[in-house]
Amino acid sequence: MGDSDETRELKITAEILDYTKTDFTPNQRSGAHKQSAQDTKDGVLIGLLRRSKSLYRLGSLSFWMVLFLAIIIPCLSFLVLAISPRLFDQGSQFFTLENFKAVFSGSTLVALTNSLWVASLAALVGIFCALPMAWLFHRSDLPFKKVFSGAIWLVLLIPSWIPAIGWERFVNPDGILFRLHLWSPWQEHLIMGPFGVVLLLGLRNIPFSYLAVSNALAGLGQEFEHSAQVHGASKFQTAKLVVPILFPAILSGLAIGFAEAISDFGVAATLAYTSHFTLATYYVYQQIGNFPPDFPLAAAFSWLLVLAVAIPLYAQAKLSKGRSYQVLSGRTRQPVMRKLSVSTKVAVVLVLCLFYFVAVGIPTIGVVSSSLLSDFGASLHITFANYKAVFTTAGLGAPLERSIEYAAITASITVLVGFVAARKLSKTKGTSAKVLDFILLSSVAIPGIIFAAGYIFAYNLPFLSKIGINLYQTTTLLVIAYIATSLPTNVRMLFGSVSQVADSLSNAARVHGAGAIRSWMRAILPPLSRPIVTAWLLAFTGILLELPVSELLYAPGFPPASIAIQDNLGNYHFGIGMAQTVVATMVAFAVVGTVFILYRLLAPRGWRRIGGILRA
Amino acid sequence: MPESVSIENVSKVYAKSKYALQDVSFELDPGKFLVLLGPSGSGKTTLLRSIAGIEKITKGGIFLSDRCVANEKIHISPNERNLSMVFQDYALWPHLSVLDNVAFAMKRYGLKKDDRQRAAQEVLDKVGLISHINNYPGELSGGEQQRVALARALVGKTGLLLFDEPLSNLDADLRDRLRIEISMLTREMAATSIYITHDQSEAFALADVIGVLESGRLVQMGTPEEIYSSPATPFVARFTGLAGEVCVKVDHCLSDNSAVVRGLTENAKPFIALGNGMSAGQSGRVMVRPAAVQLCAITDEKAHLSAIIKDVAFRGHGYEHAVMLEDGNQFANILSHHKHVRGTKVGLIFNFEGCILFPDTKFDSEVLDLSA
Repeated sequence: MGDSDETRELKITAEILDYTKTDFTPNQRSGAHKQSAQDTKDGVLIGLLRRSKSLYRLGSLSFWMVLFLAIIIPCLSFLVLAISPRLFDQGSQFFTLENFKAVFSGSTLVALTNSLWVASLAALVGIFCALPMAWLFHRSDLPFKKVFSGAIWLVLLIPSWIPAIGWERFVNPDGILFRLHLWSPWQEHLIMGPFGVVLLLGLRNIPFSYLAVSNALAGLGQEFEHSAQVHGASKFQTAKLVVPILFPAILSGLAIGFAEAISDFGVAATLAYTSHFTLATYYVYQQIGNFPPDFPLAAAFSWLLVLAVAIPLYAQAKLSKGRSYQVLSGRTRQPVMRKLSVSTKVAVVLVLCLFYFVAVGIPTIGVVSSSLLSDFGASLHITFANYKAVFTTAGLGAPLERSIEYAAITASITVLVGFVAARKLSKTKGTSAKVLDFILLSSVAIPGIIFAAGYIFAYNLPFLSKIGINLYQTTTLLVIAYIATSLPTNVRMLFGSVSQVADSLSNAARVHGAGAIRSWMRAILPPLSRPIVTAWLLAFTGILLELPVSELLYAPGFPPASIAIQDNLGNYHFGIGMAQTVVATMVAFAVVGTVFILYRLLAPRGWRRIGGILRA
Repeated sequence: MPESVSIENVSKVYAKSKYALQDVSFELDPGKFLVLLGPSGSGKTTLLRSIAGIEKITKGGIFLSDRCVANEKIHISPNERNLSMVFQDYALWPHLSVLDNVAFAMKRYGLKKDDRQRAAQEVLDKVGLISHINNYPGELSGGEQQRVALARALVGKTGLLLFDEPLSNLDADLRDRLRIEISMLTREMAATSIYITHDQSEAFALADVIGVLESGRLVQMGTPEEIYSSPATPFVARFTGLAGEVCVKVDHCLSDNSAVVRGLTENAKPFIALGNGMSAGQSGRVMVRPAAVQLCAITDEKAHLSAIIKDVAFRGHGYEHAVMLEDGNQFANILSHHKHVRGTKVGLIFNFEGCILFPDTKFDSEVLDLSA
């Protein structure tokens, strides 16, 4: 005798609830309950539930595998190599500190010292410029401040090596200044040396420092000043009291600026290298790129570089907690805009124009003029031959096409994995989230060149070949490395937006009858659509002209755009190299513009509204 | 020494001729506790900030103990006004410890650090935070942070204390406890206090004097009892708590500043409401305080109106009912010891002490003279 309908239903429901105890949502439960009343569908339902749980586990496992293979293994094995060369067949000792001793001598020490003082000065330049800019853009009625603050993104998005080669071409004896008879040797001496390196890295730091301090300034209402004044503080006492509130933000700006400058490879490999001023990141590249490569020394050196980045970043993370003004209240404070006099406005606008001319204008003139002039001589004759060559000569356009392809693939995968990671970080608690957070935070502290060095080392190990993994010198490895380097920043960026989206949004959709996919599409995707698009674009533009990872990992015969450009410059084909740079930059801007226009045209109005609010 | 406060025709105009305050005037005697009550956008925060010196006024004058601190030409800065303030979101300096936050307010007296800190410790002890003196604001709960802000305001023993909705960010239980502390400590200090809120129960609980603001104007000022029993306008009546409103016609006026009125429905019986200036046959509206209405059986001869029970809620000390009158008007917050089931017909009995009559036409802009 079979069970009655009711008993069978109860049994099935109990079985289903057993499955749904932890992971499944009210919608699935109610859906399951309805289904269970129909005998013929019971098995199908349970199967689906089992399958969805298995899929979740599989997805989670794949995610951790990606992190393990793409970030942990390469970086960790490379860094462990410094103290245990024998472990990887790179020496005779299982534990040694000899490599560290070698780092503190000769040219290695010089490169390290150079990097430390240059990065310190660059951080100071960055905060020195960023602080008044942030105040002007957030706390004053400066005209065109939206244009000026928007232009900061331009400085951020252009890879550091482009302004570096732009400046190089600007002050070189056959550059535009020379051809305009405005050149004098001191210009070249000034730029092609430590001053130029500090200037470029400092300018590059401004957006990072700006972003660090502008949030603090924008959120710092006048309550602190008012409360000081009503309790008897003079203007001086008020300033003395309020300025330290900005210290965490200022120190954050300094720490981030220092970390960015010391891990930069673009300036180190171009202007600094041409000026015979060796910086740490380029030194690591040389150790790996030379034959025979000295992996243990490069690894020991990398330790110091990682520490130099990690210590200030850790301090910054500590600073941003605890005594930050942000912990006081979640209320949005309305800062009062300081009215500037007309003469101050004119003066400030002129200074800002000068800043953008130095940061963006001069490099652009340097790059564009070189692309339109012959490589050598004093002629001012303008020619489009270099552009023609880029588009017609076989092999010159291909690297750019390749880079577009790599960037699109990287951006798509990065955003996908980044989204999953951001969601894990914001919605789950416990050890796995802490471990993930630690891995991603640590990865931010690892300069791209060390990532790449780790890849070369780890994926060239003989045992991998033995088990059939032959990724070394393949495009696949390059793209994996691109993803690994883009991921930490991408996750950080998406994390803010993802954590703002309350679970109740999707829960509401689920309890009102939407399935998992529909509730995600209706409740989660709309508010996150703009951050996702922005994250994709940042990853795309970051990879399109990426240099350090490409430099070490590109597959022979298949150079991406940045490598092709460097090759042309190295072979004194300045015009073609610059034309390629201009075209690649234009492509980046065109993609950004097109994607935003498409989003505006295709995304439902509500999506754009929510996205706008989140963005604000 | 507690300060007297005199506000004379103060106006504040923002851009595009938007008036935040319009011709506000009042006098506050030393040592009194004034609560400025009003909805969002009524100008109470602007008025408080103008008294503090954070905002500049456009017109009029502000006098603290006969000293002009603000008019069209003069603007004495906040630090020279000898006052203290508790801010809505605390405004504690995050990089200073609790002790230093409080001690800061003593700097104006040029005391040595030790003396400042001793004074701060005394006040922190009073507000129950002596064990937290070395903590930073970020390490405290919302209620503790507001206590620190209160201690900072009290420590200087200034003549004038200003409170900018200090309890609005706190939960109900904490709000009640802190309200009592504020009341006790400020009175202990005998300082003049001005407190703004949009919560009428908070206002009635704290104030010696209440000022009600509407759209930048001070529409009434008086003791809590005066405001409750004789609201100057329907707005004041509504904002200070009503059970409901009844559309009536005046039957005849009585000699003691009251009138006999009758509801407009068929079975309505006459009842007395306070207020004059109306003549027999005129339409009016009676604003009924919750305490002035009671439920009875529909058959009760004393019932002035009939209604249907729409909702009932148990409140511990009785049942709170919501009813609908025959003319469609709703009444709420009617307390009864007996539970009346939803949908049953009941009678309403009005007590004239909480029934205030206003003319039904343009009543929003008219002010009834209840003092005559």
